[in-house]
Amino acid sequence: MINIKKNIDEIKNNQVLIEFKGVSKNYANGTHALNDVNIRINKGEFVFVVGASGAGKSTFIKLIMHEEKCNTGEVIVNGYRMSKIKRREVPYFRRTMGIVFQDFRLIPNMTVFGNVAFSLRVVGASSKDIRKRVAAALSMVGLGDKARCYPNELSGGEQQRVGLARALVNNPQIIIADEPTGNVDPEMSYEIVDLLTEINRRGTTVVMVTHEHQLVRDFGRRVIMLEKGRIVADNEEGAVQ
Amino acid sequence: MKLRSVRYLTVEGFKNIWLHRLMTLASVCVLVSCMLLMGVAVLLTYNIQASFVSVKDNNLALVFLDDKVNDNEAVEVEKKISALSNVKKTEYVSREQGAESFRESIGTMFDDLFENDSTFLPAKIKVTWKDLSKTKTEKAIEQIKNIKGVYYVNYSKGLTKVLNGIQNVINTASIWIIGLLLFTSLVIIANTIRITMAARKLEISIMKAVGATNNFIRFPFIVEGITFGLISAIISTGVLYLIYNSTIDQVRQFGFLSLIPYSSVVWYLFGGFCIIGVVAGTIGSLISISKYLRKEGSEQNAFI
Repeated sequence: MINIKKNIDEIKNNQVLIEFKGVSKNYANGTHALNDVNIRINKGEFVFVVGASGAGKSTFIKLIMHEEKCNTGEVIVNGYRMSKIKRREVPYFRRTMGIVFQDFRLIPNMTVFGNVAFSLRVVGASSKDIRKRVAAALSMVGLGDKARCYPNELSGGEQQRVGLARALVNNPQIIIADEPTGNVDPEMSYEIVDLLTEINRRGTTVVMVTHEHQLVRDFGRRVIMLEKGRIVADNEEGAVQ
Repeated sequence: MKLRSVRYLTVEGFKNIWLHRLMTLASVCVLVSCMLLMGVAVLLTYNIQASFVSVKDNNLALVFLDDKVNDNEAVEVEKKISALSNVKKTEYVSREQGAESFRESIGTMFDDLFENDSTFLPAKIKVTWKDLSKTKTEKAIEQIKNIKGVYYVNYSKGLTKVLNGIQNVINTASIWIIGLLLFTSLVIIANTIRITMAARKLEISIMKAVGATNNFIRFPFIVEGITFGLISAIISTGVLYLIYNSTIDQVRQFGFLSLIPYSSVVWYLFGGFCIIGVVAGTIGSLISISKYLRKEGSEQNAFI
């Protein structure tokens, strides 16, 4: 716990939220997923990570979430050094971020309310607090009237918005969205990114992986382009590539 | 873990039992089968031990007295023997009584033998032991030999040894059988739960992604395991009651065998079943999720 507090103090004094220092990642099957990646993402930024299949986008996200460890270099997220983080600290680290998945990953036998509330149950929030915050999150994503529905009763777009509500209900520092528009229709894609933009406007850092170039161009944010495990473009100033 | 989390996770555990009712049924059936086998082994052991006790009750040492000892002195000797710690009961058989019972046992063929002297057999004291263990009986026999008026002590050394040996074998065998059955039920229950894990690994990956600790993920599984164990214990105790009572009825028809009543062991069995059920159910559940707890998100989904 002391270690976690120390890390949180470090974040408060630091504007950089995610930092990759000379990061390389090779898988056991010989795939070179990332090659000497150096990058900094500051607090409050909205970043698109783009690239073709196999460019290293998923590995990039997995390293941030600590689903994978890099072979060389250092990844620092929210003040946590991924090479030093202890196994028992990982859940507490993950609570500082909200994750949105391409395949929604909602628990099928839980209602919309239950799915969103789950993030708060994990941290031991009170029932009153849960009701209040879940209602706020659901109304933000426009699903206030669907709280009692089950995931299979919702459209793809609605399911993804539940995923978004679950990611933001804990007031995370960062939202990591792994191709959140991959399984929804184009119109809904824009709505999802609009929502992420709104969340970002309220101060949450957003990292969104996508391969939809048109969408990226339309929103005009910082874009990190990966190709064969290397960063080939990064408009840190937010200019559209 | 906070109390409200414990409450929430307990409710989740019970919900899961109903939600995955096929798995519940399979796990309970496995546990009940193993418990029934264990119960049969325990009842068999109890009954064999009980019948040994009655056999041992008939296992006597015969203390023959000196010819010079009269009836009054014999009573004194009997008192001294009764006072020994390992002696359960004593019975004095005078010369006349001894001769008479000898005569009864051999019939009328040797009647002439008794005509001149009906006191040709020595007086004796029948001694029944409390504890048949070698050390205790031999110690008591030494003490009896030192009593004035005792001529000779006759006891069946071999039978005691054999009975104790058989009892030890039965005890060891039943411990092994119960141990093996416990291990078997653990393995089977872990596999049964693992089979239905496919649907739940998604849940586990989501739980991990939102920052659930391993204990938080484990808790509902432990609730499930304990419930499986307790349900199985109740069913097993009931089924065993039915089986055992019908066996008692059958055995009674033969007349010569008597079985211990179920009521004398029911609480031991139920207690034992509860402990075994809870341990097997909990450990079985934990074994089956441990593999999934080590995996992370996408690894989890690729994992079958």
